[in-house]
Amino acid sequence: MSLDSLQAPPSWGHKTTCLAILLLAAVASWFWLELSLTDVVPSRGGWLVARDFLSRALSPAWKSEAHYIPPGTPSLPWIALGAAAQTLLFAAAAMGLAIPLGGLLGFLASSAWWSDEMIGRRNKTARRFRQFLCPIIWTFARVQIALLRSIHEILWAILFLAALGLSPMAAVLAIALPFSGVLAKIYSELIDEAPRAQAHALRSAGASTPQIYLFGLVTPALPDMIAYTFYRFECAVRSSAVLGFFGFPTLGLYIRQSSASLNHGETWTYLYVLIATILLLEIWSGSVRRRLLS
Amino acid sequence: MIPHKESFEYLHTHRPRSRFLQISLTLALLGPAISWWIGNFSWSDLTHQRRIDNLRRFLDNIRPHPLRHQDWDWSIAWKWVLDFLTEPGLNATLSTLAISILAISFAALWGTILALPAAKTLTRASPFLPAGGSEGRWRHGAWNGLYLLTRFSLALLRSVPEYILAFLLLAMIGPGAWPAILALAIHNTGILGRLGAETIENLPPEPMASLRALGARRSTIITSAILPPALSRLILYFSVRWETCVREATVLGMLGITSLGFWISEARAHGQYDRLLLLVSLGSLLVLLGDLVSALVRSRMRQDLR
Repeated sequence: MSLDSLQAPPSWGHKTTCLAILLLAAVASWFWLELSLTDVVPSRGGWLVARDFLSRALSPAWKSEAHYIPPGTPSLPWIALGAAAQTLLFAAAAMGLAIPLGGLLGFLASSAWWSDEMIGRRNKTARRFRQFLCPIIWTFARVQIALLRSIHEILWAILFLAALGLSPMAAVLAIALPFSGVLAKIYSELIDEAPRAQAHALRSAGASTPQIYLFGLVTPALPDMIAYTFYRFECAVRSSAVLGFFGFPTLGLYIRQSSASLNHGETWTYLYVLIATILLLEIWSGSVRRRLLS
Repeated sequence: MIPHKESFEYLHTHRPRSRFLQISLTLALLGPAISWWIGNFSWSDLTHQRRIDNLRRFLDNIRPHPLRHQDWDWSIAWKWVLDFLTEPGLNATLSTLAISILAISFAALWGTILALPAAKTLTRASPFLPAGGSEGRWRHGAWNGLYLLTRFSLALLRSVPEYILAFLLLAMIGPGAWPAILALAIHNTGILGRLGAETIENLPPEPMASLRALGARRSTIITSAILPPALSRLILYFSVRWETCVREATVLGMLGITSLGFWISEARAHGQYDRLLLLVSLGSLLVLLGDLVSALVRSRMRQDLR
């Protein structure tokens, strides 16, 4: 070993460039938005709101703070838990659509299923199919994924609300579409990056193409795929809570309403229920992931 | 007969199994089914007459405004798009971009700083070395307390969704770009702090241990043996989170902050679905552009990590 290779300095090039560009962009953004530090400091009215709101942080409401409570209304903790349940329902229903759709698109967008390396050339038509049709299908799937993913779920919700009116299906579809795009992207990457040894072994043993794909390519990637799906469910719950701001009966709706009527104690109750739901889910999905990937 | 160690029977009966995973996966499979069953969701709702009327109105309305009562003409449509871009379109897009860049800069700074006390290997009485007998119990307790406190605060920071944070901040700070920047920065600090802590914990410990054995202080170890090797991965995470920042920044404007979202909610309130669609496509273009930049940065960082 020569001394030069021992003394090779660590490469700083790309990293410093990236950080320098970020810094420059941040300075440019600061001037573009005409920001000033004095604007972060709340105005007098802002201080009052902040004080009223923050002072209730440690004393969330246990009873409804509304002036008029219609008879037969359940108590506040029940409303909050019901809203949390609705939040989970919307998220789960959306994932129920996003997983199959993401799986299908992910399958079409993974390059492994039609690469020559993977699949034996059995006859002429099959080869033609792979040569001409597969790249088209693959490109189509990729474009589809990019389009689904690039529109935020709230924007999908607004489009669906405009097109359909306030229907629970608008929220479910709004979460399901972008999430299926993200799932498809990650699924296809995981399948493409999974170790190929099993697939090669199956191929040389004479397995059919679907067998190679299912047992040689998908199975090795499956733990990662499931782990990522659990993480996405966490994200879906967050999105479903936020979609409440647009009128769906999830936690966001209650946070907006109680905040608008300045019932800060109630707002904190709903916020704590939301935080608890998300933290519990994070712990659950975190331990699932750890066990799956160990 | 006891099956042979490499037989299929043996491998099948001795495969790793976890009751927790079995229950979790069953729940994950049943959850969506149950929610469709007890929830208020149905496809037939979409074919309801009222929905179809609504959809027809929407489809009429997404036709560009100047073309609504005449045949399609590309030159008029193009002029409409250009007018729109010069008036609010381009400005709003750039503001959205600026908000996301500032947010990720703050989050990167604070996330990296908070990642240090949140790394278990660093935040203990005797980092990187087997515990000596000289440290008192209260010192162990104090370091452990700092670690737990940081981890918990990071979890709190990231548990409130950006949109709700921005909504709450808006009431306090008032309109402007700050509520959006702060909301994105706070949420992403929580995420980047945790990812950074995990990166530090997964670094090979030998360089740190040998520096420590030579008597180096924590600050020396951080600047010379932790940040340089961790930086590639940290930048990789910054770029991943920046992607989501761009996505979220388009939407946060709906709360009255001067990004794309502001004009989206304006168009929505006035029922100008042609403008709405154009703004959504503009946001989608920006997100795709962000994805491209971030993919470029990531491929560079992956080269460094190899």
